[in-house]
Amino acid sequence: MRYSLLVAGLITAGAATAQQTPVPAAPEVQQLPLSTTAERVYEHAKPRILQVRTLLQAAGRQTSLGSGFLVSADGFAITNYHVVSRFALDPKTYRLEYLAPDGAKGPLKLLAIDVAHDLAVVKVERADLPFFSFDARALGARLPKGERIYAMGNPLDLGFTIVEGTYNGLVDKSYDERIHFSGAINPGMSGGPVTAGDGRVVGVNVAKRLDGEQVGFLVPARYAADLLERARRGPVLVVDKAREEVGRQLDAWQGAFYESLKASGFRSAAIGPYRGLESAAPWVTCWASTNADQVPKPRTAVNSTRCTSATGIFVSDRILTGRADFSYSYFKAIDLNAFQFAKELSQRSAGPGLDPRAGKRLTGPECRDDFVGSGSAAKPPLRATWCMRAYREFEGIYDVTLLVLTQDRTREALLAQLTLQGVSHANAVALGRRFLESIEWQR
Amino acid sequence: MAAVMWIEVLSRDGEVVARERIEAPEARIGRAFDNDVVVNDPHVAPHHLRVFRGDDGELVAEDLGTLNGLYPEHGARRVARLPLAGEPGIRIGRTTLRVHDAAHAVPPERAMTPPRAHLAWDLGLGAALFLLILLLNWLNLTQEPTANLVLLPMLGLATALAAWTGLWAVLSRVFFGQAQFALHLRIALSACIAIVLWDLLTETLSFSFAWREIAEYASLGAWAILAATCYAHLTAIGPRHMNVVMGLVLALLASGAAIQFVSKSENRELVGQRATLGDLRPPAFRAVPLVSAERFFKDAEETRVRVDKARTKEPPPGGGALDSD
Repeated sequence: MRYSLLVAGLITAGAATAQQTPVPAAPEVQQLPLSTTAERVYEHAKPRILQVRTLLQAAGRQTSLGSGFLVSADGFAITNYHVVSRFALDPKTYRLEYLAPDGAKGPLKLLAIDVAHDLAVVKVERADLPFFSFDARALGARLPKGERIYAMGNPLDLGFTIVEGTYNGLVDKSYDERIHFSGAINPGMSGGPVTAGDGRVVGVNVAKRLDGEQVGFLVPARYAADLLERARRGPVLVVDKAREEVGRQLDAWQGAFYESLKASGFRSAAIGPYRGLESAAPWVTCWASTNADQVPKPRTAVNSTRCTSATGIFVSDRILTGRADFSYSYFKAIDLNAFQFAKELSQRSAGPGLDPRAGKRLTGPECRDDFVGSGSAAKPPLRATWCMRAYREFEGIYDVTLLVLTQDRTREALLAQLTLQGVSHANAVALGRRFLESIEWQR
Repeated sequence: MAAVMWIEVLSRDGEVVARERIEAPEARIGRAFDNDVVVNDPHVAPHHLRVFRGDDGELVAEDLGTLNGLYPEHGARRVARLPLAGEPGIRIGRTTLRVHDAAHAVPPERAMTPPRAHLAWDLGLGAALFLLILLLNWLNLTQEPTANLVLLPMLGLATALAAWTGLWAVLSRVFFGQAQFALHLRIALSACIAIVLWDLLTETLSFSFAWREIAEYASLGAWAILAATCYAHLTAIGPRHMNVVMGLVLALLASGAAIQFVSKSENRELVGQRATLGDLRPPAFRAVPLVSAERFFKDAEETRVRVDKARTKEPPPGGGALDSD
């Protein structure tokens, strides 16, 4: 299974031209209003929500759109980092602007970013503004599951909208803390507020799952409150140095992530007659697959396990990083000889790994091959390939793939692949070595 | 008795079309029928040339006062008299003549490949290539075998071989006089076997020594094999300016290899190396000792140095294509 998260912030030219299916006119039926609360919530929110627009400096036209909301009388507002990421990474090419529901427009200043939680604080240069306050129950994570909550924003640039949905607690098996919101979140709503019935902010719209219906995700309000506090205390983000700040935050994120992965512990898992390392972290989920049911009957039996942290840090339009994958495939030749089996493995080891078409924000991968082993009986000799590439804009952050193939038998083998995105060299080597050294023959 | 001389009239392709034995001390050449040698060429005068023995007994050609004159065979300057001791060729009008003394030394008898020897080689090499490819196909077979899978590439290879050999045979016919199809086929078959074996060898060494650059730059060796093949084909034809022709062919192949090398290095900068295990062989093919995990990760530091260097450089141009996802 693959996660396909749509980060809901960006309406780009492609999305804007998406075909609109007209809804057939419903017959006039006398109906009671579904929710008078929603009306009240929207009335309250209307002067407090914003559309956050990223404009191309040269053309003066929008290149991406998101939402935001005011959290102080002197113009502080919260949005998603991914809504302002183009500007943060390239302030010479882009600028930020807000549009209020009453039609007011003006420039936005970027004051603080939190890449890990996908949040940003921006500022409107106006005084005496109405603003949202945070829900105390949400800050303490004491909201009951099933409570009606209301997401607001400007989906697909169609106009400011309110969406009624259900609070479903924090997402299980997730490293990142995310609120599961059962309601429609659409591109353009990112950064918009989600409030309880009393108009207090519970979370911030951030993403939705593409493979489900009405499965949306919110950033818990307390991270927004923390970032606001940081932005108030200063120091203010120097826009030209925002890129370095993103790099620092990525480095800090991966530091904490790999610390937490280590703290959760590892276990040795059986894969066919071999054993390999698996994370015991509750948020690392594993899926298995086989080719046993393939028609015609395969000439090599393949049983695969793939474990993923399913973490995703949005850095820029092209870079979604922060995932750690452990995958194992056990191959056993059914009617292939040693050469044919080696050929089969060559073809299988050319899997995804580091996508060579990553654009200019990453360097191409550089690799090192060798035969590794200690000579002990339980540890098979290994053929190992280590590949890494660097993020051009962020020093000390890499994508790494470690491919390991056992070399102790001619007609069966374990292919192990460790893929780490957005990792420091030290963390990658530490985990890589552990991964490689844990491969054993158990029978 | 006066010494005998032979006068040969050559065709435009350099083949001898007529050969006259002259026993008189002097021979006259021209378009008129009272000459000793009659040349059918409108640019030749009725009485164009006489060939006689000079005071030292060597043959000399002399222009008889014509419009188009007399030239050495490979010369561009008109002459009135031409001593023929060193260079026996003469050009009059558009016709080439050669005058030989009876004492003219001919090259020694050249060893001949026995009749059908090349054909026997062709059959042997062809069978070897066929079996080699069949064997490699079988060793690389990971799916259900089908006739198509084996026969289609064979058919392609046979067509390419026929086209390549045919081209050289035509060149050979034009410049050497004989097509020598069997000989050229033998050269082409040998080249095919060499390239297949080279490919197999480099892929295997690349695995055995865990050294991916061997496979990455193996095509440079294939270019060298191609150059050797062209040399063999050219030697069989034996063009007059062998060095010049071979130089041209070498320059062509070298630039081909250079272009490929440059595009490979450029590609390396653009997309880096492939994050795969490469072409694998059975474990017994390992030729280097196992290294410890500690050593492996220490050696892998070089990849970090390389990508760190790459990241500080400006991204290479032409990344637009890569940016299109």
